[in-house]
Amino acid sequence: MFFQQLVNGITLGSIYALFALGYTMVYGILLMINFAHSEIFMVGAYLGFWALSLLPVWVQGWTPGYFTIVFAIAMMGAGLLAVTIERAAYRPLRRASRLAPLISAIGVSIFLQNLIQVTVSAQSQPYPDTFKISHYEFFGVQVNSLQIFIFALAISAMVLLQVFITKTRLGKAMRATAQNHTVSQLMGINVSFIITVTFLIGGALGGLAGVLNGMYYGSIKFNMGFFPGLKAFTAAVVGGIGNIKGAMVGGFLLGIIEALTVGYISSAYKDVILFAVLILVLIFRPTGIFGEEVTEKT
Amino acid sequence: MKPHSVFRLTLTFIFLLCIFIVISGCDQKGPRVVKVALVAPLTGDIAAHGQGMKRASQLAIEEAIQSNRFKDFKLELAAFDDRGDPKEAVTIANQIISDPSILGIVGHLNSGCSIPASQVYARRNVLMITPASTNPKLTQQGLRNVFRLCTTDDVQGKFAADYAIDKLKIDKAALVHDKTAYGQGLAEEFKKEFQARNGQLLSFDGIDVGEKDFKALLTRIKGENPQLVYFGGMHPECGLLSKQAKELGLSVPVFAGDGILTPEYAKIGGPATEGDFASMTGLPPEKLPAAGKFLESYHRRFPKDDMQPYDPYTYEAINIVLDAIEKTGGDRNKMIDYVAKVTYSGILGESSFDERGDTRNKLITIYTVRNGKFVYVD
Amino acid sequence: MTLPRRWPLIATGLLVVLILPLVLNQLGNLYAVRVIGLVGIYCILGVGLNITIGYTGLLDLGYIAFYAIGAYTAAILSIAGISFWLGLPIVMIVGGAIRLGLGAPVLRLRGDYLAIVTLGFGEIVRLVLINLDAITNGPKGLPRVGEKIAEVKFLSFTLTENIHFYYLILAFLLIAIFISHRLEHSRLGRALIAIREDELAAKLSGINIARTKAVAFVISGIIGAVAGDIYVHWNQFVSPESFTFWESVLLVSMLVIGGMGNVWGILLGVVLLVAVPEVLRSTLGTAFVDYRMIAFGLLMVVIIIFRPQGLLPSRRRELELKTAGEES
Repeated sequence: MFFQQLVNGITLGSIYALFALGYTMVYGILLMINFAHSEIFMVGAYLGFWALSLLPVWVQGWTPGYFTIVFAIAMMGAGLLAVTIERAAYRPLRRASRLAPLISAIGVSIFLQNLIQVTVSAQSQPYPDTFKISHYEFFGVQVNSLQIFIFALAISAMVLLQVFITKTRLGKAMRATAQNHTVSQLMGINVSFIITVTFLIGGALGGLAGVLNGMYYGSIKFNMGFFPGLKAFTAAVVGGIGNIKGAMVGGFLLGIIEALTVGYISSAYKDVILFAVLILVLIFRPTGIFGEEVTEKT
Repeated sequence: MKPHSVFRLTLTFIFLLCIFIVISGCDQKGPRVVKVALVAPLTGDIAAHGQGMKRASQLAIEEAIQSNRFKDFKLELAAFDDRGDPKEAVTIANQIISDPSILGIVGHLNSGCSIPASQVYARRNVLMITPASTNPKLTQQGLRNVFRLCTTDDVQGKFAADYAIDKLKIDKAALVHDKTAYGQGLAEEFKKEFQARNGQLLSFDGIDVGEKDFKALLTRIKGENPQLVYFGGMHPECGLLSKQAKELGLSVPVFAGDGILTPEYAKIGGPATEGDFASMTGLPPEKLPAAGKFLESYHRRFPKDDMQPYDPYTYEAINIVLDAIEKTGGDRNKMIDYVAKVTYSGILGESSFDERGDTRNKLITIYTVRNGKFVYVD
Repeated sequence: MTLPRRWPLIATGLLVVLILPLVLNQLGNLYAVRVIGLVGIYCILGVGLNITIGYTGLLDLGYIAFYAIGAYTAAILSIAGISFWLGLPIVMIVGGAIRLGLGAPVLRLRGDYLAIVTLGFGEIVRLVLINLDAITNGPKGLPRVGEKIAEVKFLSFTLTENIHFYYLILAFLLIAIFISHRLEHSRLGRALIAIREDELAAKLSGINIARTKAVAFVISGIIGAVAGDIYVHWNQFVSPESFTFWESVLLVSMLVIGGMGNVWGILLGVVLLVAVPEVLRSTLGTAFVDYRMIAFGLLMVVIIIFRPQGLLPSRRRELELKTAGEES
């Protein structure tokens, strides 16, 4: 059973990891908890749902390209939504107190959740069954191709992101801005643009996590972002908020802990244990696993 | 803005607000407006169920208006959103009893809302029929204005346990519930009867409403080798539970209550749900022409929406309230007396209420999923 | 003590607050009295939360947990036969002790982390309430079948109607405001402001940071617990569904939108976020029931953008936040 739980946990963790990246990137650059990120995840899932339902059949036959298109639509949509939210709801508050953007984010979250509930549906929408799932069994452990796909996709996305951040000029500019806005500006970096890019990438990854979540569980709902969002944020914190490797490791760690907790301890108390882990990490190792001392942004 | 002017502005605003609140509670003039209230969670996590109840209510009211039985009144539906929160529910109850045009209420969904709200309705003798609250405590409070159309957890859970043992020959079951008053209550009743009849209960677990990943839990349950998984809860979770169980190789039937009886269930769970069971009060629609007609009208009126589990009960409840209004001319007190004694023939069969307000219709039908649809068994 | 400058306004306000609900009650509008009573309870919570957020500068996203702790403790005591007045100090001690327990490891964390920990704690409390059936009866709530929450008696008068509880709530609200006011204008209060402005400088001036924060934190928790105690005796029922994360968020929003560090701001915030949805509910009617929450979310964003210091901030806060804005 242990290995089966591990498989469960790793798949869960892949989605948490992608989801957590959005939180950690925005926090790294703005020292702000983007509460609305959970709704970006949800909208990504819905965009994927519409793409899967509405794309004509001839595209569907072209399997590898088909999913690329679906993901592209969801990711672009989610990324654009994130950028729009930043422009409309956070940018005007950049000079205000630390609480103000948080409140704004909460307002956006409530707005988006209820908007989808009213305009689309309050019900769960079943996800189209287009991914042909093959089942495998290794030594009594059930694994299916979708789980492998999600894991592979998550790892690839994260590797790409890591390369982008460390090797490209834009990535370097992002890291510089995360360290210190003022100095970055003095070095010629357009901080506003960098912030936009950060939201775009973080949002896109969140949207991807949403689609994968929809495909994996087969069902989406207007409030699907809230609890996974809290957990993904927990993952980001445990890994070291502001740190991309941290979000990845945190995501997998959290997924595995959750699966093992349900398997060996209790299903009812699993979230209590997750939050307790969060609190303990924050008390005994507040910077998280890969935490850096984040300097003040002036 | 200067602090002082903001201060004045807000003071004026608060004053206007008070006026609004006063107005909202007062009488309207004109032709007698008669309203039936529906109170359910219309937003929030279980909004889907509440919205379904609202649709069923709309259908009932529209049909009543068209039937011309209420020519002297202007009949309206007043829908309220209690968000599943007992606090909201009591506030709404206060609003309703302060509005003399509301002659009866159908609701709430959650027992946690119905119970405190019922005490408020009792103060002004407002008729309350719940189509969905299953906690036995509701009718044990001794309030004469409270009636319940659905069966309580003890009836459904017990019946299901007996069915599992007698008809399905199950003696080892795993139990899962969704930690709501309904789901947990149902599971506990199943557990009581199942164990009393020497069934072996392998595990008893709680999951959260809104949870989508049951793989870890099912992996553990699979290790216990159950012959059946009984679930106390609603279709979104149950559908996923069934689907994931089969994916993990746990190919046993899933058995649940009326919370999953909707076409949505098979849609969410897919082919994995073939052979799953559900219980529900009343006779199957096939045996009741009125029920068949209701299903037709519902789908015609709301082609894009799926029927939710409590819609039939809600439709029936509204119709009973309307019947009471018609027969008593809209007198709140008389309506309660009327409903206490009525035998109503409708889509659930024959419904009447005992001294505590519970429905005497304790007939339970078992359904199973065949070819993606629920069909009744025996 | 000299009369405050705006005393005619305050006197009128007090008169309205005392008489208007009575008038509404006589008109038969129980709903309005109920809403005003709820506003009162939320105001008590707001005053309590303000001590943590407004005075101490700590973002608490799980404050509703203490409301829940107070309500459940009170329910358990009441069912066991202990009267409201006797139970009150016990509820205060329990609430304060748990708050102290939470505060001890957590108060030294950085701002955002504190927010997350309090959020986590709030969720833990809610989940424990749902799962610990033996004590809390889980999702079915308290009291159980056959049990009853005791009535509240004042001298020989039993409180039964909304209007009675309204005056009880009002009394406690005034006490809470008094405590808050005294705290603000005491040495402790000034120490809190010093900490909020510059923790290092405060420490160097000899202020015991940990103890100062802890005292404010605990007082705040006790007020929340008392609010829960009153609520449960009024509602005669309590269940975990009333204590979600969104309630904590609502409380924080009330303070931020209304204006922090300021009783008037709190009152405004509560009225806007509790009374306005009620008005929207009754004026927009059935068809717009679904749009209520959308309007609410939008309203929050709009208000916070156009007036980030809140609508009625305390003068000190206004200066703080305005100049902070101008500096960067």
